[in-house]
This record gives sequence, structure tokens and C-alpha cells, in this order.
Amino acid sequence: MSPSAPLLRLTGISMFFGGVHAAEDVDLVVEAGEVVALVGDNAAGKSTLARVIGGVYQPTAGTIEWHGRPVSISSPRAATELGIASVFQESSLVENLDVTDNVFLGQELRSRWGLLDATRMTELAKQHLGAVNSRIPDLTVPLRTLSAGQRQCVAIARTLVSSPSLVVLDEPTASLSVSQTADVLSYVQDLRDRGLGVILIGHNLTDIRAVADRVEVLRHGRNNGSFSATAASYEDVLAAITGATHVART
Amino acid sequence: MRAPGSQSSLREANSQRILEAVRTFGAITQVELAAATGLSAATVSNIVKQLECDSVLVTSATTRSGRRAQQVSLAPTSQLAFGVHITARSLRTYLGDISNTVQHSSELPLPVDHRFDTTLDRAALLLGEAVEEVGATLDDVVAVGVALPPNLLATMTGGALHGWEDVDVAETLSRRANRPVVLEQQADAAAMAEARFGSLRGSSCAIYVRAEETIEAAILIRGQLHRGIRGPAGALGHVQVDPSGPICRCGARGCLNTAVSEDALADLLRLSHGPMNLRQIVASAQRGDAGCRQVIADTGAVVGPVLANSALMLHPEAIVIGGALATAGELFLGPIRDALRARPLLGSADELLVASELTRHAEAIGAAALAYDSVQTPGPAGRIVG
Repeated sequence: MSPSAPLLRLTGISMFFGGVHAAEDVDLVVEAGEVVALVGDNAAGKSTLARVIGGVYQPTAGTIEWHGRPVSISSPRAATELGIASVFQESSLVENLDVTDNVFLGQELRSRWGLLDATRMTELAKQHLGAVNSRIPDLTVPLRTLSAGQRQCVAIARTLVSSPSLVVLDEPTASLSVSQTADVLSYVQDLRDRGLGVILIGHNLTDIRAVADRVEVLRHGRNNGSFSATAASYEDVLAAITGATHVART
Repeated sequence: MRAPGSQSSLREANSQRILEAVRTFGAITQVELAAATGLSAATVSNIVKQLECDSVLVTSATTRSGRRAQQVSLAPTSQLAFGVHITARSLRTYLGDISNTVQHSSELPLPVDHRFDTTLDRAALLLGEAVEEVGATLDDVVAVGVALPPNLLATMTGGALHGWEDVDVAETLSRRANRPVVLEQQADAAAMAEARFGSLRGSSCAIYVRAEETIEAAILIRGQLHRGIRGPAGALGHVQVDPSGPICRCGARGCLNTAVSEDALADLLRLSHGPMNLRQIVASAQRGDAGCRQVIADTGAVVGPVLANSALMLHPEAIVIGGALATAGELFLGPIRDALRARPLLGSADELLVASELTRHAEAIGAAALAYDSVQTPGPAGRIVG
């Protein structure tokens, strides 16, 4: 497609936890303006890969290139500084802080005198939450009073704060109602329209295929096929996930 | 005219803020209203009471976090109707009353070749969720309207919705949603939405063009949809533009749709840009991609003369262009206006061509309006099942 280097390229990523091989020799490429879905059974290595990209795990082997430049993502903060924002499966939100505090957690805005700029944070939080079409009227309530869907909106709105160029969403629609799922999927499409790269991890093939450009299947920590979301059928992808077909690496 | 800054104008502004918040959040408690608007609890309480007396809002008792609370929602001016618009890649829904006071819409992206059972099931679930969010009950919904691509209503080979050819959409959905269901052509539904709530309000004779996956049109005469007798009216996409062109799905040769459908546009860009869909083409064009801009402008230049020729037969008051291609703005509309200008009999092209005022939910809004009508006056509007 474009002559320039891809946004993110993982080559031969392996992640071992002692004897457990969570990911083995995995390749993954994400272009700008592309939604790549990572699918697979439980323990296929999807979330492990998300955490490697998010700087939570350091891979045992393999290289990561960002805009064609080899990088090591040593911490979640390093990932944020590169322009990678992640929403992991288990919530990284704080139950007893309010909505605005959670949106800006760890990346608070400060005024000229180094004080917290609460007014601007509230304004921006409203704007970011509006972008994900969340219906949270009161941003001063503690997070524990919100529904699962509203919390997911807060977690996703968090990613917008750092103006990233790659967003990693791990199971963003798990435990959401249909209308909340609709909002999250529409939001993923908006991200792509704005030219961002998106890695979408999930189980529900209907939702995944609705917004993804490419579906990458992982099986037991290894690549097991790459499908164009518009050309591949539901059955093709399902066969690769369950291991009915083994796709040779090219 | 009230003086700015006076007590009464302040009160009016605060009422507006409260109405705006209820519209945005649906059913909301008074405490949440105070937080959302920044007004004091006492002010909110007073204004809500006033608006309740004016029959603009309704309140009911509810609980939030275990405490008693007063829930506020908009008072519908009539019963509600639910509109559904199903295309190859999305499910859009709209719940509203006849005056568009209560309104709730949502958009769910769908995968290629989505299955009818999953999609219709989700439409029914979305109805339940939407009803809850506006603070109504399912009994308030009188009917469901479904706007569909043309292939499901006419006999054509291969259509926008694969695997849906033999599905009785009205029967399936009316069983799941337990409401009467009306089916409608998507272009007709969108035209109806423009006539009720958009830029065709008050127009007696108009053409609506829906430029998206394919080109479709709807004709309004005396404010009513003109329906074909033996087949669909407004089949603008099946006007011949190239006598030696490829065979169309309808069986004829060189139809407009063979030249400017979503697939045709994607083919033009495949070598240079890789596979793209219409949404991506429009988004790239808006970001300034020269190739995509060229494709959209050329599409306008092909559609324009066909539309101008057809318009001569009707000489409408207004022509509205909707659909995804119209969101590209002047890039697409400019060449169409030029083509209309080249037919002096049509009069001023600037007055004739009107921009669509509705968002992507036009078809769903129109389907809801037509469903509402079908219950009020059974007869001409759509087919009723259930």
C-alpha cells in the first residue's frame, strides 16, 4: 500500500513465563488507518501480545519496530510516549476516584504554576466521553457507582488523552449491551477514519469482522493465518481459531 | 423580546440547558441533572416542576445507588415508533415520536455477509435498550419500520444483503419484537425523513437521491411518496449511461450503477490504493487524498447529467442528495450542480439543489415515520405484517 514503513511491526516475538510459552515467534504488522483484529481461543496469546505492545511485558525474543525504527517498549509510560494507548481487559481504573480523575489518571494536566488544572480536565473529559457517546451525566461520581458499560467508556476515553497513533483494545465489548457495543464499534471506525492504527482483540467474530480490515488468528501462541475481513468467511476464520486448518507461514 | 440578563431570560436559558441535558442523556435523575447542567438542585427542581406543568417533561420515582430519586424524561408528544435501517455493513436504529421530541439513535457496524437471524435479533434488542434509555416502555412503541436496500423488495440477482433473499424480514422481526413491522425501500424512507424533519419540509414536488452503495432515488409528489405500480419508482441507478458497458444486476446493460456503485469506485482505486470501501474513500478524500478526490468528483460528473435529464421530466421544486457520497460535500455536489446548470429549463441550479439536513440516520428516521403512519392510517404506506 504505502511505500513508507508500517506504524508497528512485530517480528518473531516470543514470551516465555518459565516453561509456559505464551507467545512463540509471532509476527504482526499494523499500518496507520488500519484496524487489525487479533482473535483466538483462551490462552492463544492475544492478551500477552497486547501487553508486550503496551510495555507491560518485555518479550523474551523478537524485535519491535515503530515507524520502521527498532524500539524497546520498557514500560507502559514508554508506550504512551511513543504514541501507543492501551485498554487492557482487567480494568486499570481506580474505583474510589471520580470519572474525570480516572480519565486523566497518570497524565494530569497542570496549570502554569504546576497546580492541577481541574477546569480544563473536566472540559476535556466531557469532550472525550462525548466522542465515545457515553451517557454519564455526572463526572464527579466515584467510578464504583457506574455500570460496566460506562466504565468501559471511561477506560476508552482515557486513551484519547495522550493523542495516540495506535490504540490497543483488549476485549472492549465483553460484558456490554448491544447499544454500548454499537457505540464502541462506531468509535473504532472513527479512529480509523482519523488515520489511527487500531489493534482489536476479541472473541465475538461478528463484532470483530464488522470493523476490522484484517483478522490475525493466534493459536497456542503462534500465528495461524491472516485473513482479509471483507474476503474471508466466518467459517474460514473459525476453522483457523479451532485448529481445523493450519496455515503455513509465508 | 426580553432583555438579556433579566430574571426571565436567565430562567429560559436554564430551562434550555435542562432540556438539552435530558435530550442527551435520556432518562436522568434530578441529582444527575444538577451535575450535568451545573445548576443548583433547587433551580433544577423548580424548572423541572414548571416544565412538567407545561407537559414538556415527565417525572417518575426511581432509585439510584439505593437512594430514592426523581427520574426525569421528555414527555413524548405521541406514541413512539422504531425505525431500523439495514445495509450490507451497518444496522442503524432510531426511536422517536411524531414531532421528533423524543429521539434516540444508534449505529452498529456489521460484518460482511452478516446473518439475518443475528442482525434482526440485535435490532430487537436495540429496541428494548432504546426504549429503556428514553424512559418509556415497550407498550409505547406502536410499530417498527425497516428500511432495506432495493434488492429485497424487487427481483434482482445477487444483492446488497447476501443470504437474505428468501428471508421474510417483516415476519421474523415482528415475532422477535412483538410489534407490527412495515418494510420500506431505503431511498423512500430517507426521502420521507427529509420531508418530515429535513430540507424537504413543505416541498410539494421533489427528488431525493441516495448516493451510497448504489444510486437510488425517491420521488415526492404533493408531499407524498410516489411508488411504482409494477416495480420500484426512482430507479435512477438503472438509467443507461454506457450502451456498451457491463451487464447490471437488473439484467440490463450499462446502468449507472455499473459505473458508480461502491464496488465500481473501489475497483478504480484497487491498483493504486489497495482495497477500500466507500467510507474509507470518502474519509481519505476529506483528508486530501488526490486519487480519492478524483474518483468522487468523477462520480458526481457521471451522476449529474443522468439526474438532470430525469429532473426535466418532473421539474421538481428541490433535489436533495443524501447518502455517504453526499458527505463528501462540494466535491461530489459541485459536478452535479454544474450538470443541472447545463439544463436551463430547470431554472436556478443553486436553488434546486439542496443539501441534506439529516445525519446518517435519515433512513431509520423515515422508516419510523412511515411505520407510525401505517398504524394511524392503514393503507398506502408500506406493507403491514404482524
